[in-house]
Amino acid sequence: MRRLAIFLAGLALLAAGCGKSSGSENVGELVIAVDVPVTGSPYVAQTIRQGVELAASNLNGGGGVRVGNKSYRLKVKLYDNHLSARRAVQDTRRALDAGAAAIVTDGTGVDATWELARRDGVSVDIAYDGGTGLVDAETRPNVFRIAPTNHGIAFRYAEYLVPKKVKVGLLSDDSAYGREGAADVGRAFSENPEAVALKLTLPAGQTDVTPQILRARRSGATALLVWGQAPTIAAVLSAARSIGWQVPVYAPPTGVDPFMRQQLADHPEWVDGLTFASGRMTAEVGTGPFTSFESQYESAYGADLVGVKTAAGEPVVQPPEFAMYSYDFVHVLVAAVTRATSVDPEKVTEALNQVTTQGANGDERGFNQHSHEGVVDDDVYFARFHDMTFQPVRDDPLSATLPPIQQTRGG
Amino acid sequence: MRRALVLAAAAALGAPAAALASVQQVLLPGPTPYPTPSPPLVTVAAPPTATLPFRIHASSDQHVVAGVDPDGRVVSLRALHRLLLSGTGDYLIVVSAPVLDVSPGPGSESQPGLRRGQILWAGFSSKKKLLSADATLRPGPAAPFLPMRLEAHLDGDRYTLTVTNATLTSELSFAGAASPAELARLLDLTRRDSLSGGKLTSAYVSIDGLVTARGERAQIAAPLRVEGKLRFPSAPTSVSGGTVHGRTVTFSLLLGDGRPLSRRVEVRGVRTEPLLHVEARPTVLVRSLVPPGARRWSDAVRRRPLSAAALLKRLLDARMQLVRSDQYQSFLSNPDSTGRNRTVYVYETAVPSVRRTVAGPGQGSGGSGGPLVALLALGGSVLGLGAALVAWANN
Repeated sequence: MRRLAIFLAGLALLAAGCGKSSGSENVGELVIAVDVPVTGSPYVAQTIRQGVELAASNLNGGGGVRVGNKSYRLKVKLYDNHLSARRAVQDTRRALDAGAAAIVTDGTGVDATWELARRDGVSVDIAYDGGTGLVDAETRPNVFRIAPTNHGIAFRYAEYLVPKKVKVGLLSDDSAYGREGAADVGRAFSENPEAVALKLTLPAGQTDVTPQILRARRSGATALLVWGQAPTIAAVLSAARSIGWQVPVYAPPTGVDPFMRQQLADHPEWVDGLTFASGRMTAEVGTGPFTSFESQYESAYGADLVGVKTAAGEPVVQPPEFAMYSYDFVHVLVAAVTRATSVDPEKVTEALNQVTTQGANGDERGFNQHSHEGVVDDDVYFARFHDMTFQPVRDDPLSATLPPIQQTRGG
Repeated sequence: MRRALVLAAAAALGAPAAALASVQQVLLPGPTPYPTPSPPLVTVAAPPTATLPFRIHASSDQHVVAGVDPDGRVVSLRALHRLLLSGTGDYLIVVSAPVLDVSPGPGSESQPGLRRGQILWAGFSSKKKLLSADATLRPGPAAPFLPMRLEAHLDGDRYTLTVTNATLTSELSFAGAASPAELARLLDLTRRDSLSGGKLTSAYVSIDGLVTARGERAQIAAPLRVEGKLRFPSAPTSVSGGTVHGRTVTFSLLLGDGRPLSRRVEVRGVRTEPLLHVEARPTVLVRSLVPPGARRWSDAVRRRPLSAAALLKRLLDARMQLVRSDQYQSFLSNPDSTGRNRTVYVYETAVPSVRRTVAGPGQGSGGSGGPLVALLALGGSVLGLGAALVAWANN
């Protein structure tokens, strides 16, 4: 009996020892660096970071990522690029030193950072900037993007506006974003020169662009497509409506930036009718998946308040569109890790070309060897503002299929 | 009472046998399943969930180009795969194939994606959308699923091209007692489907009594319409199996549908292999479904007695051949299983035939002086090796 007790005690000690050993050795960390303009464009930075953190938190809650007999917990490291390419390079170096498996960015400095990351086999995911040339599966095999592209938006605008027989004034600001967009819009409308009334560059950051808007009106423009930062769009609306010109105004995704509505909070009627293009937030399966994602997001971080109210006094919230993109990237990354059965960044980057996951809105997300774009051009939709909130337009086949998203949270 | 129970039990036991012996409806072949897994091509890679909502339909037109060497072996393979979507909604299409590369084909309204063993399409269709992919395929895994095999020989001044229908497969079939009138009606239906060029309509046949497996497996091949052109540097003197037009020999063949599955074109008076261009199209059955001495099978059975067993065999074989033909209409898959498919298979010379010019009559097909070249090469290698050894020793 005594011998049996000693034997059992020994067995228990052995088992405890084994358990401890396997527990410590079989858990690792998978670092995802988030390099965003916390001090340059706080809304963009916050929404991208929170998308990554939410995905990481969900995955960690389910036990992390399993590779062979080892589990990896996702760890998010935040860097602030200040909207500066130089800072983005420094951040990338620090992220690589910290062993990042992937870098999620708004797009700042990618022209300079992708090669640094590539040396370590690390992938770079752009979750905001749609600039053409940032992503090229052949020449930049480690750069991926989940966000609508400027190219796609420009061509969808041509497809949408040309049949309306309007004379479009193509306005862009002189920021890098505006210049890149102007080039894409120019290409998109190049086959329909008769649809273009004028092309004009506006100074970014200038609040009064009345002279330029008067010139646009004199050119015979019957619609304005403004490619610029949110303040530029606000300035164009301000100038046009101030002189009593009710010209329809169209904008890229910056048109939905809360800053634009904050600028025009005193004249909500000036925002009415503004149409913007972006990636659709709901898929054909309906609003269910996106609403579920949005409620998770709001539970974790609260609603993103725009800072304006509807006529009924209800606070307006911003749906987490760009958070959805960074959230989806983390899931695609994890699918790639699983497929690669490795956390070696090079193998994971290679595997990113071979996987598809279901995105937060129910759409499939994935890349392939020819395309590192996670939002296809066909997913670009148009929405129009009314009473500080927006709804998909009804005169575009894709947009007409989309349900409106709730954007108020009660008074 | 006891006797009544025994009788009832016996009746109950006898009931299945009676049911077995009664008339039963047996599903005829077609429009699916296909007798073999490929075509359409498949790869081992697990495809992601592909979605084509029910309100979107797709028809496919495919142009498969097989590059062949002078012997007729397939050395390269390309497929122009055009999917025409009709309907409004999202689509995610995964075409499984041993694909090396893919680019947008003419008129494509979207860009195809590439993964290992997959061509991907994703987007939104607004009423109509053309997705056209120009895909380069790995010939090794894909060529066995081409419908035709070529074998070419140049022997002296005689060039022979053997064209073989490669779709032959064997299938299990059944036999049983059926009514000639019903079989005739089904043959007429099958004939109408065949001549319309569409997919077969599902149909059942009533079998009286037991359905049994046919003694031997049916040998089934898709009928192929083949048009070929051989362009020689100089005019041939004669040809069998084709027609000479100056330096060009043309031929038109039907492989299957009651005709031989292999045919030979023999050209005399040539010293060089031709530039070859042969097109094969899976086609409909005509000959096998012609009613004897009447416009319709229903009329034929009314005029004279026809063996029900022979009619059933003809019906089943014809339908299996049409299913096989439909199978080859889709070399790459169409996400819409009910969609219309058309595929043309083109075999073209991939290597210039001048590489194998014959030196003179009677020298055989190894016209490049094979043994002599091999000896010279061997001698050169030995000399080179010796020189290298000397140089190394002197260093």
